[in-house]
This record gives sequence, structure tokens and C-alpha cells, in this order.
Amino acid sequence: MSIDSHSATPTPASPSGGRVSGNPRFYLTNEFGLICLIVVFGLIFALLAKNFFSPFNLFALGRVAAVNVMIGFAMMVVIVTGGLNLAVGAIGVCGAMFCGFLIQVLGLPWPLAILLGLALGAGLGFINGFAVVRSGLHSFIITLATMSIFFGAMVFLTRAESFRGLPPIFSAFGTARLFGFVSPLLIVAALVGVLLSIMYRYTVVGREMLAAGAKPEAAALSGVPVGRTIILCHMLSGSLAALTALLVMARNGAAIPSMAGQLGQDWLLPAFLGPVLGGTLLSGGRASPLGTFLGAILVTMLTNGLLLLRVGEFWVQACLGVLLLFAVLVDKARRSYLAHLKVA
Amino acid sequence: MDRLVRADWFGPLLVTLVAVIGMAAFSPSFLSPLNVQVLLLALCINGLIAFSQMIIIAIGQMNLSVGAIGGLAAISFAGLMEVWGVPAPLAAILAICIGLIGGVLNGFFIAWTGISAFVITLASLSIFKGINLGITRAQPFYGVPESVKAFGNTTFLGPLPWLLIPCAIVFVATWYLLNRLSLGRQILAVGGNEHASALSGISVPRTVIAAHAISGVLAALAGIALVARLQIGQPTIGDDWLILSFAAPVIGGAVLSGGHVSVTATLLGVAIVAIITQALVLFHIDPFLVQVVLGGLILWAVGVNRWREVRVQRSLKRS
Amino acid sequence: MAEVVFEARGVSKYFPGVKALENVSITLTKGSIHALLGENGAGKSTLIKIITGVYRPDGGELFLDGKNVRFSGARDAMGAGIGFVPQERNLIPRFSVGENIALEANSAHPLKRIDYATINAEARRWLKMLDLDIDPSTPVSQLSVAKMQLVEIAKALSQRSKVLLLDEPTASLSPHEADVLFGLLRRLRDDGASIIFVSHKLEEVVAICDTVTVLRDGNNACESRSMAGVGRQDLVRLMIGRSEQIPEWPERDSIGKPAVLELSGVSTAIGHRDVNLTVRDGEIVGLYGLVGAGRTELAKSIMGAFAITAGTMKLGGKPVRIASVSEAIHQHRLGYVSEDRKQEGLILMHSVLENAGIAVWRKLASRLGFLTDRTVRTKVLPFINKLEVKTPSLEQTVGNLSGGNQQKISVAKWLAAGTQLLIVDEPTVGIDIKSKAYLHQLLRDLSEAGTPILLITSDMPEMITLADRIVVMNDYRISGEITNTRDYGAMSEGIMQLIHADAA
Repeated sequence: MSIDSHSATPTPASPSGGRVSGNPRFYLTNEFGLICLIVVFGLIFALLAKNFFSPFNLFALGRVAAVNVMIGFAMMVVIVTGGLNLAVGAIGVCGAMFCGFLIQVLGLPWPLAILLGLALGAGLGFINGFAVVRSGLHSFIITLATMSIFFGAMVFLTRAESFRGLPPIFSAFGTARLFGFVSPLLIVAALVGVLLSIMYRYTVVGREMLAAGAKPEAAALSGVPVGRTIILCHMLSGSLAALTALLVMARNGAAIPSMAGQLGQDWLLPAFLGPVLGGTLLSGGRASPLGTFLGAILVTMLTNGLLLLRVGEFWVQACLGVLLLFAVLVDKARRSYLAHLKVA
Repeated sequence: MDRLVRADWFGPLLVTLVAVIGMAAFSPSFLSPLNVQVLLLALCINGLIAFSQMIIIAIGQMNLSVGAIGGLAAISFAGLMEVWGVPAPLAAILAICIGLIGGVLNGFFIAWTGISAFVITLASLSIFKGINLGITRAQPFYGVPESVKAFGNTTFLGPLPWLLIPCAIVFVATWYLLNRLSLGRQILAVGGNEHASALSGISVPRTVIAAHAISGVLAALAGIALVARLQIGQPTIGDDWLILSFAAPVIGGAVLSGGHVSVTATLLGVAIVAIITQALVLFHIDPFLVQVVLGGLILWAVGVNRWREVRVQRSLKRS
Repeated sequence: MAEVVFEARGVSKYFPGVKALENVSITLTKGSIHALLGENGAGKSTLIKIITGVYRPDGGELFLDGKNVRFSGARDAMGAGIGFVPQERNLIPRFSVGENIALEANSAHPLKRIDYATINAEARRWLKMLDLDIDPSTPVSQLSVAKMQLVEIAKALSQRSKVLLLDEPTASLSPHEADVLFGLLRRLRDDGASIIFVSHKLEEVVAICDTVTVLRDGNNACESRSMAGVGRQDLVRLMIGRSEQIPEWPERDSIGKPAVLELSGVSTAIGHRDVNLTVRDGEIVGLYGLVGAGRTELAKSIMGAFAITAGTMKLGGKPVRIASVSEAIHQHRLGYVSEDRKQEGLILMHSVLENAGIAVWRKLASRLGFLTDRTVRTKVLPFINKLEVKTPSLEQTVGNLSGGNQQKISVAKWLAAGTQLLIVDEPTVGIDIKSKAYLHQLLRDLSEAGTPILLITSDMPEMITLADRIVVMNDYRISGEITNTRDYGAMSEGIMQLIHADAA
């Protein structure tokens, strides 16, 4: 309230105040904090676990990280609208299973099957987006319902059986190592990140997504077709989810219905960890592909490091929960510090 | 009459009656004692799960960790009895305390940080589930005493399960809380208009913590009941509660933005879900379709609620 | 001398870098209605927050019944006897009227049993005192806005308030509902209540208030003086420090010019009937009416947000059907400056550059939809400079700028987009006097330079300053039109006659 009352008075904004609030100095950004954390934990794990920096571990880490990054992106593009997509896991699995079905049962060539799998992801995303826009309800409840519907339908149609008859190119892609330690999956994830950054910065569509997410009423009265934009975000989320599942499929060498857990719920935690650590606002209007990327890398690194240190696999999940809690607390502290700087 | 139609429980009651009559007509075994017992057991346990979420919906938030808290309480209950031989009542009380603590932690972090309940309970979901798996290493506790097993699986007066008694008490208590007790009204007031509640002397943080504490206790009760019902302490207890916990309150007309839930209608929502699940089993329909049906029910229910809301607003505008 | 109930003496309040109040006093006597006036930014809302305990003053003292009091929070102030009816609705929508009135009493003990019979009996007593015929068991959500407001007054009274503070109580009331409210307030005053009445509708203040305190720039422009012999003009002078100046602009005759926007016999999906309206090249047409008359809704219908169900709308002489706001902006080059700058006008969390450029992104983008900040900057910067927007950089977050500068950006957005018609809705709400004059000049220049303007404002002086013709709207219909002669008395009388002629 106090901010309101003095923004109404004509205070000539000082140049220094503007730089802090408009464009925070780099060392105050989330991205910088994440890089620091990655370096610090990298050093700790390197000291404590000898094989942490071995080429094989880096490769394995990269493969897992790629998937976590992609899951984060699939969620981020919807968080931008101020909504969320609980069905990322379910849509992803549907896309991958569809792709597996097309290859194994219908014998379609794999590039076409991949495209159709992505298209199915976009189509399911469209259903989500359309339902959200048309009903005016929050995407939480809509995607909670569609998560159940999509996953149930998928299991029903596939009889919960996997598709293992994939062409060797999938597993070759999944197990290939560039320079001895880089997984091509990670390159795909990085490439998607770059494309998303370009979209948000340099295209009308991306900017309209941010505007529609920040303040739908204002965006609509400025000529942004808000409904269509939100549907587009959900479609993008759906196809990114499908792409993620295809990467998992390449890693596993098969399309497995349980690859994202019951109802695809196993993806939910990584889906929010990356964006939240990376400073994407849950209320919408701001996106940071770089932050999401770094956040997912950090999460994967912590998981991997803790496993190497023989912390039980199950306790790692608890640690990730603590990490998410910690991340939001730190973010809150950082924001109030920035607000303090602005006022002073 | 108009008032009757507008009541939250009217629609679900109609659906329930039609479903029961329809099922009984098509399949005579539907009203068999065994089937009634199965239905009532599902009603008890799923009712607890749904109420655990309903309390949080009442205050305008959501609790993703309902299942994780319930699961943790369930394995604690079974584990205490198996590993340390703790007598069942004491073990149950301790498990309820775990649920209470879990809920209080959720509420405390939400009230203290002001961060959305979604993120906080997503984090705590992961923490509670991780602790669960860390303790059990994903292996069930089998050493559940006979008395507990009997409690979960025997009946009185024909098909009435013993579990019905404690559950019925909890249901009535919840109704009393939300309709007659100051605390329950405060929860609904905060859900309806947080700012106005604060100005009327309601401590919003304390109310939020109380709601989450109650939610945690209800989730723990559901976990304990499930251990009695399944006769083992499964670490996977709670994994599939999320959808159900939202489906029933929403079918019962709960407003997701808070301030309005109906205990009776939520219970009817649970009944509808139970009957449909049972129907799929009786007609040998693929159980995986239950997921589809549940999702469809949620969409249908939120659609109907939304439509009713719009209609009420319109009639207000006209008058 | 009447008994003093409440007094704030020499109150000051500072925010980092801003003095909001300096040595401000107000004295409230028993059995009076006291007006608290001030322009936006004059410190009115800060003083309200101090009186209601939200802020603690940095200097000065508060006295209630002669005793020095310090409030530790809103609850504390309420407990001490400050009843506050805020601008936003403050009831629990799904709860009954009775439970809302009793909410405070029931919040004490979490395990207390709620006794609806007692609650309703108690509530009935207060409702009866206000002559309100409402069943206490009715849910609040089923009441009209006016009745909700009266329930809030009942709620405040039930807390045995010594002072009743009403913040803009008539903002969302119809004239008739406001009259009912005034009758009630007069009765309460005659029964000995002490009421602080905050409003920007000076006619109301003149009509019902006994004493007045005016704030200007965080100081007392006058303190608790009697309203006897004080007229509207005197209040304006107190509020802005000088009398209103209507710029001497020559009258313009645009009868012969081509019509840019022409509505004939238009009905809309949200209730307009048979609307005829013409805006010609180079003129400013004012659309006047009371709150709720359907002016903003007509503007949004023109912009394609609500469907036009009958009649024709012509732009530049050609009949058009506009299906969406996006179409209106990108294909028909219409622009709309919203009355609600913070919700509908600007995206406060985004930068100046993004806000000013949002309507031209599509035009500037390459065929594949790519664009860079540099192209947007080149397009937008001339207008930002021309409007003298004070911002450290184009990357500044708009939410950090002052209201006047924000409004300039929402106008710059449409200048950059090159609109053929600009609809401006309450352009100077919440803007200081200087920026206001600047914006007036700007709108006048714009219309001169060929962008006709449809101006919606509830600010009569503003309307008379700017408009060439004034069209009066009442209850979603046009009730008449007059050519502006810039004679304030005659014009306001003429407008009021059109409004009331229709109502009678």
C-alpha cells in the first residue's frame, strides 16, 4: 500500500533507482546465484566423491539433466500465463507411447512418427488450453482432470504394455557420447532453451505470451488475442512434454507407460523445481529459460552427487523437497532485498 | 422448491439415487451384503481423504501433500506396531500426531512465507514421501495385529463395517466444525474474503495453520483406516489420492477459490465416485478407465459449478 | 461548542523519500458529518490509514473522547471505536447478513459455538435501527451493492463505533441509492453520530456535510471549518490552491468535416439500445453520464469486446463488423485508453518499452513474426520524448513511475500505433494537477492534428474544458447532445437536465 501511495505522487525517478528495479545488476539475479551454487556444489562433490567428474558420470548426469530441463521448460511455458499444467507427465507419456505405437505397430518411418508424437502432445495441450480459456476456470483443476483422463485413456488403449521395437537410431541417440562426456540429449535441451529465449525476446508471439500472462485484461485491450495466446502456450507445453518423453524413450530404448510414474506424477516435482529455482514467477508474466536450465542442472547435480555419496535413493527425494522449500524462501528474501534497495 | 434445487447436495443426491437404482436394476449383485460392505468401506476411507482436501479448499488453498501425509501416517502406524510392538491405539494416536505435525508444518510455511500453498505442499509432498520411502525402503510392513485387521474387515448388523463408526463420528464432527463452530466459520470466512476476515479480528495465519492441521489429521486417519482395511502397511498408500481428493469436493459444489464447501454434498460426491468405480468392476470394464471417469467427473462438476455461478450472477443483475 | 469526539493533532507521516503528511490536524465533533477532501496524492488515504490504525504516525497525536490513543493496528482502532467502511467491499460473500455483522464477536474463541438464533436477533436490531428491511439470514452475495454497503454500516455500528469513517461510499451507487444513504447518514447524525465522509463528488459534500477538512500536498488546506457558506468552487480552490482554470481555446466547428466514427441505431449484447453517435475528424466528443450509465461499456463495444447486435457502425464511412479487440486495434486502427490504468491500461510489471510498443509489435515484426527491441525503440522513442515521459530509461518497470507518467505511456502507446480514432476513458483519475493540464493540452493537440477523440469523463470541469460536443448517456441510451459553449454554469445545468429529464 505504501508503494501505491507514493507512486501516485510525481517523484522524478532517479537513474540509479531505475537500474536496480528495471534491470537488476547481474550479481543479484537468480541466474548468477544458480551458477554460484552449481560451482560450489560441483567443488564439494568433486572433493567428496572421486568419480563425480569422471566422463561417465558427467555423461549420465547430462542425460538425466536434459530430461529435467525439458520437463521444466514444458511447465515454464504455461507458468508464464499464470497457470500451470499438471498433465505434463501424462501428455508426455501419451506422445511417446503414440510414437512407439506408430513405429512398432503401424511401421511408420521414425521421423514421421516423432512428428506425429509431438503433434499429439500439441493436440492434448490444445484440449487443456481450450478448456481453460472457455471455462474461465483455473488451469490447476482442468489439468488435474485431464491428467487423469489422458493417462487413463493411454493405459487403457495400450493395455499398459511397452513398445520395445524401436529402430536402433533411438538407443544410439540415447547412448551416444560427444567428446566423451556430453549427451546429445543435453544438446537438444540446450537448443530448446535457446529457441525459447529467442521466442520470448525476439518474436511477437513470445512477447504476447508474456503480456497475456502478466495482465490479461491490459493485454487484451492492447490488441493481444489473450485466449488464443493461452491456448498456444498450452499447445507448446504439450509438444515440449512429448519431446521430453521422446528423449526419455531414447534413453530407455523403449516407450514404457510408467516412464513418468503413476499418472505422470513423477514429473511434477522437477517440473516446478527448475522454473521456481530459475526465478520464473508463478503468477505469470516473466520467464527465464536460462534460469530454468540452470535450476534443473543444479537439481540433477545435487541428486547425482547425493547418490554418489551413498545417501539412499529415497532420501534424495526428501532432499529435493527441502531444496524447493529453500529455493522459494531464498527467492523471497532476495525480492524483499531488491524492494528494499528500490525504496532506499 | 427453488431453494431445494439450489442446495449443493441436491444434484449429487439425485445422481446418487439414480446410480443406485440403475445399478440395482442392471446387476442384482450390486445390493448384495458383500458389495454394500465394499461400498461403505470405500465411502469411509475416501470420505476421510476428500474431507482432508475439502478443509483446505474451504480456506481457498490446495494441499498436494494429502496423500504423502496419509502415507507417512500409515507406515508409521504399521511400523510402530511391527517394529516396536506398540499397542494399536497408541500407535494410532502417534500416527495421528504425525499427520498433525505434517499439517501444521504446511500451514506454518504457507502462513509465514505467504508463498502459494501449491508450491509449499508440492515440496512437502516430496519430503514426506521421501521420508516414507527412506524408512520403508519401499517394502511394506506386514506385522499388523489381528485386532486391527479385524477392525478393518468385519461387520456388524449385517453389512455395516466397524470402520463406519469412527468415520461417521469424524464426518459429523467435520460438519459441526464447518457449520457451527467458530473455527470452522473462520476458515470459511478467510476463504471467502481474507482481507475482510482480518479486519474483523480473525487471525488469518492462525486459521490457515489450523485448517492445515485438521487436514493433516484427516489424512492420517485415512491412512490408518487403509492399513486396517488392507491389513498391511503399504508404502504406496496415498499415491493415488490426489485426483480423488479433489473430485469429491468439486462434485459437491465446492468453490475452488474458497469460502464455500458442503460436507453433505462432498460425501455424496465420494459416494458417486465409489458407485461408478464399483460399476466398472461389476461390469468387467477395464479398471484403468476409472482414471478417465474420475477426470471426466471433475471436468463435468467444475463445469456445472461454473454454470450455476454464472446463472446466479445473471439473475442478480436482472433483479 | 459541541463536544469533540475525535481529534488528530499535528499528525505527520513519512515514507522513504516522500513526506505523505506534515502536521495535519482534524477535529470531529459529536453529531456532525465531516468531509475529508483532497486530490489524489494529497495525503487523504494516508490520513485515513492513520485514523483506522493501519499506519502509525511518525509525529502528532490522536485523541478519542479526549484521551490520547495509539493504535497498534486496524483491529485495535476498531476496538477503540473507529468504525470504517472502506471503498472495497468488506463482507464474506457466502455468509449471511447476520453472521457478517457478528463476525467480529464470533472471532474471539475458535471453539465457540455459533448460535444463529442469537446472531440473527442481534442483527435484526441493527438493521431495524437503519430502517433496513433485510432478512438477516440472507447470504450477502444475494444483495445489491447498495444494500451491502448499508450492511457494512450496520456492521460498523454494531461494534459500538464512536466514529464512522466512510471512504467514497457513493462510488458504486446510483443517485437514488445515494439519496437513501444520505438520508440514513443525516438521521445517524441527528442521533448524535460522528461521521467522516470521504468523497470526491463535491456536490455531495456540499449537500450533506457540516464541516470540512481539506488536504493539499500533505498539509491542511483548511482544518475542520464549517461548511456554512462554502460552495463547490471554494472547495476546489482549497483542493488545488487556486481556482479552476479553463484554458481559452477557440471554439471549433467541425460540422462539415467527414465523420470518422458513426453509430446509428446501435444495440449491444450488454444492453445498449438505439445509440446514435458521430465523431468527426478533428474534434473531441465528450460522453458524459453517471457511473453505471454504460459509457465504458459502449467504448468497449466499439472496440469489439462486446458484440453489436443491431444497427450499424461505420468507420471512415464504411460499415464494419468488429469481432475482437485485436481486430479493432490491428485492422481498424482504433485505440482505447482505459479508465483502469493499473488493471486494463498497462502491464505494470513490464518495462516502458514493452508497454509503449505492445500495440505496434505486429506491425513492426518481420513476416515470420520476429522483431528486435531496437525496431520497437526507434518507433516508440519519439512519442515517449514528445510526451515528456519522465523515466530513467525505457527498461524501467512501469509500475515504478508516477500516475501521470503512466498515463502518458498509455497515450504514447496509441500515438505509436497511429490510431484513426482514440477513445479516452477517465484520462486524469489519480493524476496530479500539473500532469492533468498537460494531458488536456495533449488531447486537444491530438484532435487538432487529426486524431479525433471520444472522451469519457465524470469530471465535469474536464468535460467542459475539452469537449467540442457533449453527448449525455443515461441507462445505456443516449439522452441528448449539446454543443459546448465553455460556460461552466450553463453547461453543467444543461447536462444535469439531460440526465434527469430522462430519469423523470
